[in-house]
Amino acid sequence: MNNVRQHASWRKGRSWAARRQAALVLLLTFAGLLAACSRRDGSYPSSEIKLIVQASPGGLSDTVSRFMASLLERELGVPVVCVNRPGASGALAFSYVVRRPADGYTIGHAPVEICVVRALGYADVGPDNMELISLVAKSPAVLVVREDAPWNSFAEFVAAAAVKPGGLIMAHSGTGSIWHFNALLMEQATGIRVTYVPYGGSSAALASLLGGHVDCVVAGAGEAIANVQAGVLKPLAVFDEQRSRLYAGVPTSHELGYGFGVPAWSGFFAPKGVPAAMLERLAQGFRAGFATDEWHKLCRERGMESVYMDREEFRAFAVVQAEFFRTEVPKLLTLKR
Amino acid sequence: MMIDLFEGLLAVLQWKVLGFLAVGVLLGVIFGALPGLTATMGVAVLTPLTFWVSPEQGLAMLLGIYCGAIPAGGIPAILINVPGTPASIATAWDGYPLAKRGEAGLALGINALMSGLGQLVSIFFLAVAAFPIARFALKFGPAEYFALAVFGISLMAGVSGGRVVKGMLAGALGLAVAMIGLDPITAYPRYTYGRAEFMDGIAFVPVMIGLFGLTEVFAQISDHVKKTEAEPAKIGRIWPRWQELRRMWPAATAGVGIGTAVGVIPAAGGDIGSVIAWDQARRLSRNKDQFGKGSIEGLAASCTSSNSTVGGSMTTMLALGIPGDAPAAVLIGALLIHGIQPGPLLFRDHRDFVFSIVFLMMFAAVLAMVIGLVGAKPVARVIRLPDPWIWVGIILIGVVGSFALSNSLTDVWVMFAAGLIGFALRKADFPLGPLVLGLILGPMMESNLRRALILNRDDWFGTLTNSPLALFLLIAAMASLVLPLLKQPRKQAKQPSPRVEA
Repeated sequence: MNNVRQHASWRKGRSWAARRQAALVLLLTFAGLLAACSRRDGSYPSSEIKLIVQASPGGLSDTVSRFMASLLERELGVPVVCVNRPGASGALAFSYVVRRPADGYTIGHAPVEICVVRALGYADVGPDNMELISLVAKSPAVLVVREDAPWNSFAEFVAAAAVKPGGLIMAHSGTGSIWHFNALLMEQATGIRVTYVPYGGSSAALASLLGGHVDCVVAGAGEAIANVQAGVLKPLAVFDEQRSRLYAGVPTSHELGYGFGVPAWSGFFAPKGVPAAMLERLAQGFRAGFATDEWHKLCRERGMESVYMDREEFRAFAVVQAEFFRTEVPKLLTLKR
Repeated sequence: MMIDLFEGLLAVLQWKVLGFLAVGVLLGVIFGALPGLTATMGVAVLTPLTFWVSPEQGLAMLLGIYCGAIPAGGIPAILINVPGTPASIATAWDGYPLAKRGEAGLALGINALMSGLGQLVSIFFLAVAAFPIARFALKFGPAEYFALAVFGISLMAGVSGGRVVKGMLAGALGLAVAMIGLDPITAYPRYTYGRAEFMDGIAFVPVMIGLFGLTEVFAQISDHVKKTEAEPAKIGRIWPRWQELRRMWPAATAGVGIGTAVGVIPAAGGDIGSVIAWDQARRLSRNKDQFGKGSIEGLAASCTSSNSTVGGSMTTMLALGIPGDAPAAVLIGALLIHGIQPGPLLFRDHRDFVFSIVFLMMFAAVLAMVIGLVGAKPVARVIRLPDPWIWVGIILIGVVGSFALSNSLTDVWVMFAAGLIGFALRKADFPLGPLVLGLILGPMMESNLRRALILNRDDWFGTLTNSPLALFLLIAAMASLVLPLLKQPRKQAKQPSPRVEA
């Protein structure tokens, strides 16, 4: 009796193990097949796309990326997940993305810094070792002073600064940042000299202007708009070619006769070697996202110009920008002393 | 004014809005209780989800996350000595010893109550005096920030628990580590050894997890070899007694005052506020030597102050359009997406909306308090687990949290290195509190001193004395360094010096 019982339980155990093994094999085969066809059946995309963001959660780059990711998701029908890899002006994220396999499932947010980090010596990445997909927005720099400042126009500001060399103090978002370069370009074009106080971001720089600790700030158009609309800060010039919709009454640097200004921009890129068909599919997604009302609303609210550039146009633009920063950055950074 | 107040209240008194608020608070509690997952991250990741709901509902959820996360940061600080957010570092100093003593329940109860109190009072200040408070915040220029940082660093002696020289050495180590990364003014890379990973400096959260959590794990493992099996830890009662509440009262008042004041200053958050408040409460207290060893007064001061920075930083954000801390920066973005531009105009044109925010934050604070009190007993059971489970749990949470912060393996190695260094320092009887102070305040002190020097054209004397506020803080810092040294010989004769197990 005992023996039989033992035997039965042994048999039962064996069949259970065998069944489990069979099920496992089946499951693995199935999973393997599923994985194989999901990536190989030619319809791209068929699984989750990772979008690497070069900044921390919450900033403008992150907002743009997450917003575009949600629009792209709708268009492509697969999840688009944002992953933040902040650090070294974006150099960490850019070099991470360009080293990923060119399978179209890892893409990155491409701010103006993709054309700057090589000039700064942070990482060997630039438009030449990546596939640019779409550019979706642009954000010019604006020069602001306090409402009670004695200068009411850019000309008055330049005249005052010229009389008092080094006397005007300007805060900006950090040495080597795009707004710092805009300020340096202003110095170069107008011949005036200001003293810089770098902060860790535009909001800290604007706070120090509001508190009366510095004379002026060069920041992103959207970053300064709240206090401009409230009449606390006075914009003197927008550093761009065309007028900004947010600052309709403010002259641009080009109108004022100084041809300078490098706006910040937002686009997307993939590792070098992603097949053209995949890039086209992604570009199609971004184009559709760009065409939505939601996108234009976001741009209005965050002080960006909604501008679209397709692959070829974006590439040509980025190559010119990278060349500009390659030659100008060393000159600009040695402008002082 | 009254009409705006009622309109603001009515706008949020809807089941859907309150439902989203509750979901937000719950999510915030989870994000806050897990080290490495921050309120900033919670708000940023969930912002896209709120695109598709009404502004009130979306805002309710995001404010819920913001208000729920900071009180919850105290929970792991108390139970496993790992602060959930940098703001709850000082909570670990007293909360963890309390839990070890078998009063985990009481520590969690005080955390919930005092955190709620801190938030409610600071939000009240936001409602009644946003503009005067914001104007005070703007007075803080580079010289004042520098002086505030020096004042904070002068507390090193206070958090050294009597080991002043060793405390200073640990503090110097913290300051040295804080030098790593791009120079704040010239952007020249310092001590990065050519690695882009170190350009932004050593991230604070992995260091914090390593220094607090891993160090504790290593210390327990090394003690465990000698120790026999201990009985399961007690949880004890949740509610503080009336006498205890009365005893905590002065510390809590100091905590709220200092926390709100520090919170309104942009770029000075709950971490700095709570350390300053903890040390001031220690000076005020009659039981100074209990601080750092499970003092309920110390716990009250750190919980109220770390949470009253919530109201403070919301004040600067709403009144000036400038965020007081990182989560507030994300909230600005979220508000803009919902068509609301924070800044001076908000208070002129949309007063009712400001009141809506105030009410939402008050409801969220109360809700977080209720969740904290109801959840205290079940959550505290964690400490009844066998020790090895807790150790593995802390290490796992530490690895995941450090990695999640910026998806970087470097941060995980930094955490392990910090744990080993912390363990070695602890074995050599060095206090870790000053090291943390040096790390937090070093960058603030250095960058603002150099900005102030640029503004004053390299005139050192003028830089230090031109601003009355800065001069006052610097004198206070000198006093807090010199006075204990004068008193010390007399005190040491009477009793052995108190020690902080930080």
